Amino acid sequence: MATNLDLESIVSELYSPLYRFAFALSRNETQAADLTQETFLILAKQQAQVRDVTKIKSWLFTTLRREFLRGLRSQSSHPEVELQPEHQDELVVEPAVLRATDASTALEALAQVDESYRMVLELFYLADLSYKEIAATLEIPIGTVMSRLSRGKEQLRVLLAKTEAPAKIAPSPRAGNLPT
Amino acid sequence: MNLDDAKEILSAYRSDDRDREDPIFREALEQMASDGDLKKWFEEQHAMDRAIRQKLASIEAPADLRARVMAQIRGHEARGRRFTLPPWLAIAACLVLGGFAVFYSRITGPNRFQEFRSEALAMVSKQGGPLLDLETPNLSETQTFLREHQAPCYEALPAALKSMETAGCRAFVWKEHPASLTCFRLPGGQFLHLVVIDQAAVGGANIAVGMKSMGEWHVMFQQKDGMLLMWATRAPMEELKRMFLTASCEWPDLKKPS
Repeated sequence: MATNLDLESIVSELYSPLYRFAFALSRNETQAADLTQETFLILAKQQAQVRDVTKIKSWLFTTLRREFLRGLRSQSSHPEVELQPEHQDELVVEPAVLRATDASTALEALAQVDESYRMVLELFYLADLSYKEIAATLEIPIGTVMSRLSRGKEQLRVLLAKTEAPAKIAPSPRAGNLPT
Repeated sequence: MNLDDAKEILSAYRSDDRDREDPIFREALEQMASDGDLKKWFEEQHAMDRAIRQKLASIEAPADLRARVMAQIRGHEARGRRFTLPPWLAIAACLVLGGFAVFYSRITGPNRFQEFRSEALAMVSKQGGPLLDLETPNLSETQTFLREHQAPCYEALPAALKSMETAGCRAFVWKEHPASLTCFRLPGGQFLHLVVIDQAAVGGANIAVGMKSMGEWHVMFQQKDGMLLMWATRAPMEELKRMFLTASCEWPDLKKPS
């Protein structure tokens, strides 16, 4: 049983992938940062109960996902007042992290993948978890992880091809193809 | 293994350094060596994985997130180190200490030393633990803090104490004399408090050395380099004896506890 976890090393190693995963779930910078902090705090509080140090990574992602879902349930039981459409437009702010077009493209494509495959793909790409860790995180059999990864990747490939195809056909003038 | 099975397994393959040794991939990887179509599919798949990971890697966590996480964890740990006392026990402790104060003042009359001892004990008995200016597990940080705040600090501690984790420290003034409190965490989880004050602050009192039990507290005084050191703990006497027995090698003036 691990009683003295090296929390500083764990945080240093995993705060970035956890944040990315949180961002993919929430699409909100503040919420992603809060989820990441909350997840590590839960680890600090429950570190005495950690029995297998090798499973901390998947434990953290499981916890973050659970906290995110808990937040969603809480929001749905206390629904926020809808904004009027004309005001809503003014309040939509593009998160800084999504200004990086590459990440935006990938996240948008991931968001369009069937829900049953999406989580497995997010854990594979964003958290860099192995198939065993994904199975442990989602509490599903290894075989299911593999088939979902395979089908999910196929969907993702098609979606990315659709997104990127126009760029290949009509490159941006800024890429150097100025009309002559 | 047919082509679809091999593809399904290889979909979970991340990179050579992480997954090559995993037996679940072995057969599929071997099959790839003799199947051109599978190899081509795998290379395309792998290129896509790399591209997606690269894209997603551009999602950057806020620059201060790591520091925020660590600050929150340290805050939690510091709160955890502060001991809590059930209200009924705090009341009982106050009554016992109050009783002792009255008892001692009746027998010996009020003097500065007894006053200091009573007030120092009241301070460390505070419900929720004594108020600390600095919460840190690091003894040298407490010593630096006390030096910076011109509070008396006895640094020539035995190795057994130097290696002990602290809860923190406090610089305070008692009757216009600077004083300090340092709280050590004993191996058993309880605290050992060290209160230090200029010896002149308590006058020329004849201070008895050796351990004394005062209610639930075990207290010991030492006089070092013109300073009065008061040690106080609620830990079992046996634990305290063991610790000071170890320390007595470096503090020859320390009497073997009886």
